[in-house]
Amino acid sequence: MPLTGIKASVCGFRCKQASSFGEKRMTLTLRDSMNLVADPGNLDNSVHEVFETMLGVQCRRDPIELGVGAEISEESVTAVVGFGGILSGACVLRCGAPAACRIAAHLAGFDLNIVDEIVKDAIGEICNMLAGSWKTKVPDLAANCGLSVPAVITGRDYKLHVQAPEFRICHTYAFDGVRFEMTIVCDGLQ
Amino acid sequence: MSDIHALIVDDSSVMRKIVERSLRQAGLDSLVVFEAASGVEGLEILKTKKVYLILSDINMPSMDGLEFVRQLKMQELATGVPVVMITTESSEAHVRQAIEAGARGYIRKPFTADQVKHRVLTLLSAS
Repeated sequence: MPLTGIKASVCGFRCKQASSFGEKRMTLTLRDSMNLVADPGNLDNSVHEVFETMLGVQCRRDPIELGVGAEISEESVTAVVGFGGILSGACVLRCGAPAACRIAAHLAGFDLNIVDEIVKDAIGEICNMLAGSWKTKVPDLAANCGLSVPAVITGRDYKLHVQAPEFRICHTYAFDGVRFEMTIVCDGLQ
Repeated sequence: MSDIHALIVDDSSVMRKIVERSLRQAGLDSLVVFEAASGVEGLEILKTKKVYLILSDINMPSMDGLEFVRQLKMQELATGVPVVMITTESSEAHVRQAIEAGARGYIRKPFTADQVKHRVLTLLSAS
């Protein structure tokens, strides 16, 4: 089931923080620093920073894409945090239920075995921190791009579509025998 | 240090627990924590409870952390109580906005327990 509505509700959002810097955005452009904004290393650094600081685990990049095999066929969890302002788009964390429980358990400090409200809350917060960490890697983004509150989607057999993005960075990471996927998608850049 | 009543405002229950755990690790022995899931809830709690420290997220639905701090001033609630913002928004402009709204400290997510300890103990000893 394609969730095409996500594009309108998440990527199209405009945040209060970003709009308060409207005067600066009149002259500011990120196009000149596209290489910095779309640097795949920024996503890796953000994942390492958030997972080491908040979960106490070290993640490694996994060359095999998520989505093949059984790890997300039963149930998957997707957290989305929208970007608004000088850059519009979204930060998306996607994983299977076992990985979601493992991430949430490390964050909360106790065992979690089913995708309940605590797990969804934790995955949303991790995605929020990753989005915040990613945008601080580029100084102009940090000040002129706001974040939405996280949205968390659970279920099976759904896909997230964004039409004609400016750029898309998608990496898979692994720790403790579980894997998750992080995507930064930009559908508008000033 | 003992008998510290603190209010933690965050729409994430997991984050509220993590902040509480960090406060306990900071050596606040008899910590009494009040939790609020939004600025609106936080204001309601402060109408009946006395606290010595407030930690608040910024990016929350219904009433964000900046508006919560502004409302504290307007409604003359928790006057003189240090407010620390804990948030993913950490640019100089965001910090300035928070300070202008009335916050005394700022902690960026992700954070370590040591960062919370340092910031909180500094503010408590100064107030």
